[in-house]
Amino acid sequence: MSAVAYTLAIFILLAAVATALFRDVLSAIVVFGAYSLGMAILYTFLLAPDVAMTEAAIGAGVTTILLLLTIARTTRPSTDKLFESVNVPAVVVCGAFVLVLTIQLLPEMYAVGDPDAPVWSNPEVTQAYLEQTYDDTGVQNAVTAVLAAYRGFDTFGEAVVVFAAGIATLLVLKREVFA
Amino acid sequence: MADRNTTGYEDTYTESQVILTAVKIIAPFTLTYGMFMTLHGADTPGGSFQGGAIIGVTVLMLAFAFGIEPTRQWLKNSVLVGLVAGGVAIFVGVGLATIALGGAFLEYRLFDTVLGIPDGTKWGMEAIEVGGIALIVAGVVITLFFATAAGFTPQRRRSRPERETNDRTEVSDDD
Repeated sequence: MSAVAYTLAIFILLAAVATALFRDVLSAIVVFGAYSLGMAILYTFLLAPDVAMTEAAIGAGVTTILLLLTIARTTRPSTDKLFESVNVPAVVVCGAFVLVLTIQLLPEMYAVGDPDAPVWSNPEVTQAYLEQTYDDTGVQNAVTAVLAAYRGFDTFGEAVVVFAAGIATLLVLKREVFA
Repeated sequence: MADRNTTGYEDTYTESQVILTAVKIIAPFTLTYGMFMTLHGADTPGGSFQGGAIIGVTVLMLAFAFGIEPTRQWLKNSVLVGLVAGGVAIFVGVGLATIALGGAFLEYRLFDTVLGIPDGTKWGMEAIEVGGIALIVAGVVITLFFATAAGFTPQRRRSRPERETNDRTEVSDDD
């Protein structure tokens, strides 16, 4: 982890806390978009460009636009206060939970790019896929190969879930056309 | 088609020279990037899910810049339904085609062994990626946007007289 990655992590934490604390809905939505963008850059740092692209497109793009549209179509309560009032017991409980998890789990984690990490040095799963993918499918992106070929049926289910989301929106809004 | 297609909500559209110019410049590039990501998802990072989302966001940007109503009249409801349902149909079609060739659901190598298509596995995967997932995701992103923009009009009972619904008090978002 370089200094840039630590800076990104701190930025993400601050953006998440600000999203929870801002009283104005518009400010919270904008900061939430910034949080998603920071997550996308962090995924790129962790060498997961596919996940980063999804986070940038869906998290920072579509979600922000849909939330903005929602407050444009509903009401936006006007407030003078900048922050929500903080519930101290809840913050103490959540903070203790995060602290315990951090102290317990972070030392157990392998460093980013560690060749001994089980997810990487796994001859039966990870290495096997990386070695066989091109011979089996003829595509160079192992992520696409796993998604579309090795677990194509699951991806079919996911595609139908996305389809169902569009239908469910019509049901909730009691419409017959997407207009 | 139904006559009451227009919902009659007031469009919260304000024409902004800055947004118009920016979107006019950016939109071709985002559309191209989305297509590139979709078509090159097999060999480079990315894929049809991300590419389809970016293609959908391009339309959302156009709607922000030029107004939701004109964009919706330009993209008819049948086009959007065709995108979403057509994507699912293509995905199912590829899966059923391999079953028809005597294999399992989405067993692409049969395109190679039975039909003799070179790199049958690769082209089968491209078919469900480009023709299936990309269309579904792009269509659903656009339809979610339009459905949310149209909003929810509560159905009144027939016995009650029609009342005006335009006397709502809102904080304007124009600042």
